[in-house]
Amino acid sequence: MKPTFSGSLLLFAAIALLLQGCSSPEDKSSSIRVRWSHDPETLNVLQPPSQPAFDAANLIYTSLLHSNFSTEKLEPALAEDYPTTQYIGDSLTRLSYHIRSVATWDDGRPVLATDVDFTLKLMFCPGLPNETAQLEFDFIRALIPDPNDPRHFTLECRGQSLEYPQSSGEFFIVPEAAVDPKGLLRRFTLAELQRLPPNAPADSALVRVARQYQAFAPGALPGCGPYQLSAWEKDRYLTFRRKEKWWGSKIQPTPFVLQARPSQLDFVIIPDASTASLALQRGDLDVFPQVPAREFARLQNSSAARAKLAFYSVPSYDVVTAGFNTRRPALADALTRKALGRCFDTAGLIKATQLGAGQQTVGIISPLDRANYNDSLAPLPFDLTAAAAMLRQAGWRRESTADDAGLVRTKAQGELQRLRLVVRYRAEESTFATAALQFQAAAASIGVAVSLLPTEAGSFAATLKSGDFDMYVRTLKGNPFMFNYVPLYHSRALGQSNVTGFSTPASDRLIDAITRARTPKRKSQLLRRFQTMLQTEAPIIPLFFLPTRVAANRNLTGLHVNSLKPGFAITTVERSAVPSPTTTP
Amino acid sequence: MAWSLLWRFSRTLLAVWALASVVFLLSHHDTDTAAQFALSDSSEFVGSGSSSDSAKYQAAQSAVLHRLGLDLPLFYVGRITFSPSGASQWQWHGFANQYHRWLTGVLKGDLGTSFRTGQTVSARLLQALAYTLPLTGTAAMLSVLAALGLAQRLAAGPWWQRPVRTLLVSLHALPLFVVALLLLLLFANPEVFAWFPTYGLDQPTTLTASPWARTATYVLHMVLPITALILTALPDLTLQLTASLTHELGSDYAATARAKGLSGSAVIRHHALRNALLPTLTQIAELLPALVAGALVVEVVFALPGMGRLLAEAAASRDYPVLVGGVLLTGAARLLALLLADLLYLWADPRIRWQP
Repeated sequence: MKPTFSGSLLLFAAIALLLQGCSSPEDKSSSIRVRWSHDPETLNVLQPPSQPAFDAANLIYTSLLHSNFSTEKLEPALAEDYPTTQYIGDSLTRLSYHIRSVATWDDGRPVLATDVDFTLKLMFCPGLPNETAQLEFDFIRALIPDPNDPRHFTLECRGQSLEYPQSSGEFFIVPEAAVDPKGLLRRFTLAELQRLPPNAPADSALVRVARQYQAFAPGALPGCGPYQLSAWEKDRYLTFRRKEKWWGSKIQPTPFVLQARPSQLDFVIIPDASTASLALQRGDLDVFPQVPAREFARLQNSSAARAKLAFYSVPSYDVVTAGFNTRRPALADALTRKALGRCFDTAGLIKATQLGAGQQTVGIISPLDRANYNDSLAPLPFDLTAAAAMLRQAGWRRESTADDAGLVRTKAQGELQRLRLVVRYRAEESTFATAALQFQAAAASIGVAVSLLPTEAGSFAATLKSGDFDMYVRTLKGNPFMFNYVPLYHSRALGQSNVTGFSTPASDRLIDAITRARTPKRKSQLLRRFQTMLQTEAPIIPLFFLPTRVAANRNLTGLHVNSLKPGFAITTVERSAVPSPTTTP
Repeated sequence: MAWSLLWRFSRTLLAVWALASVVFLLSHHDTDTAAQFALSDSSEFVGSGSSSDSAKYQAAQSAVLHRLGLDLPLFYVGRITFSPSGASQWQWHGFANQYHRWLTGVLKGDLGTSFRTGQTVSARLLQALAYTLPLTGTAAMLSVLAALGLAQRLAAGPWWQRPVRTLLVSLHALPLFVVALLLLLLFANPEVFAWFPTYGLDQPTTLTASPWARTATYVLHMVLPITALILTALPDLTLQLTASLTHELGSDYAATARAKGLSGSAVIRHHALRNALLPTLTQIAELLPALVAGALVVEVVFALPGMGRLLAEAAASRDYPVLVGGVLLTGAARLLALLLADLLYLWADPRIRWQP
């Protein structure tokens, strides 16, 4: 077959295109490219719906306090210092803040107390996606401005807690002049907005403010953070450029939380980890946070990847746990739950799912938190003999007559109970599937019948909430700043976030005492007691803390890989001529 | 003929409406989960600062439902249960219901607003289609052309037909994600051949490049995804068409044509191909809904935006307006594809007549 003229032309064009594409001028040095697995969807500053959305908002907007990724503490950002705390009686707290005098909005206007007041009111303005913010910040009941200093104000909070100084400063501030130039929200007090019923007739002023807020294109609402959104291609990438006159750089030395070293940040959306891994090896990507265990190990074992990349692995605050539905009669007693807890081979699971990188724990407080972690307790052992003995002690015996012989026990009223368990977990998570399978095999060996029910992520939360499970395996997301266990284990949260259904008067008192503790020492004592109580009552079995794995270009410095989300400090990363060490522990 | 066509078109419209209505009503039964997605899940956070008061959570949930318009009754009629007696009875809700609001919106061209992003559904679908159509359209066109060319040669019975058929059957057995990953690991891997880019349509840094360089970059980025789609569609089309052509070549009219001195390829082109196309037309028409629905696997593997990812993410996060809008679009495409197949049958074989 002779090649035709048109065929040759087509071939030539294809080669020319290929060469042109290969030699396209890609300036890889000016920006830092970070992988995100999914698009942030919205940059709603009042309620960022996901971690990428929060990270993006963190670049454009600033909060009073901000996480310092090198010390893993909340530090003053927009605020000049930590707030001063004043307890009023036994039911009120006043926190006084002062905003940095150099802090300005994009248009050069100063950031004032009125902006903070406006932001708090906007959180309670009907018709806006702000419901989570309402739940988080409903403890602030008023902002008292200082008539002599427009940058000074006091937040009046309901109740008293050691955590208020931190949690009161963790929201992004919105410019009043941009959203509400006529000051419509000033007609309302914060308390009035907080008291509005959900279905109250719409006030025209509130509707107008809500419309004005929503009229801003994503990222177009002026911020007082170091970056501006310069491009957002949905499901493809977001580009942020550092402001030419970033007020944070006027403070010398610039605090860590106000540093903005990269001139441009590109967040590229790559859903598949294998694709992201290839892009990282090719140099099309600079930072790959939250690398899955096997992909991380594969990269570490590749000599070509080792030459180009640095690998970091540190413990995170996310803990894999198994939980019981304590409302089920068969799981109502602690002895049965503790026996079943001994069927988890945690060390084996860490090896199988995290390739040995996880951290065993006695409770849901991270071992990294040395002040509060109860190191006098031992992690629950994998001991099937002890588990069988404890089940016998709890009254369970083998039913030999039935075809599918399992464990049964007779309660005082003559009612026969069977120990057959349904374990739910999120279908797409291999760590949970492995844990559930290991538990199933171990439990079967002592006569406990276990069936597994992988559940779609959206339905999973709903089924836990409705109590349609016997056991679950899931991750609990933690942080080192908050110790409010009311949502997880208090009777006030039954039917909502307390999905295990566990609560006793004693546990309620202990959880309340933790939230009210006035000194760190007292809090630490109570938290240690709380961990002991959780291990004794065993409504959940904490298995292990997951690691945070980051793989990055070796020429990057200032990553500060840490245990907080997203796992590294985005704004301090820099490209350097000297490669960084290959791996950190 | 015109009446017949009109009748079929009306039936198609009716079917699309019924399909979208069923999806709307079924999906909107699960409004609580949609509301939960809008609120952070406190049961997932250790030491959450969120209010744990059940009453406040309920109020927040009501506010979400109100904001999303999910606090209205679902349909014109519904069963109301009276507590504490537990008795229930049917009740007329009037026109202030979710379905009526959605239907009147659709008739005015408004498909609603995304729960997640606040963008209009039409804008989201159009944005995704703008990425999807060039990908799936090019792949479908090249697949059909390649299948036509390859099947004609295979039907002529060359010496290489057996290995090529074996190759096509083997390829047919491979799932799309395997093909896509293989291509990626072979041709975008620095440890094998780094000939093509790994992800996306271009890079943020190429935005300032010349139009020619940007086009070249775009084409380069599309090579592997399109190849993956072609490789999965090609075997089915080719094998079916080859079998059909082989059957036609054994018929009397083909023997007569050969006896008259026509070459093998001329017999195929001028006589057998049109008759052999009949079963393949259905397959080609089936490609139309896929053009609109996108190719989720390819979009995920090559990090491309598009309809597949949009709809999968909308389903996972209970973004019902986007989901129903997507179903409406793909459903309409499928039904139109069936209509198109009928028309193509008529063109390919004039003996076929529609029965009204």
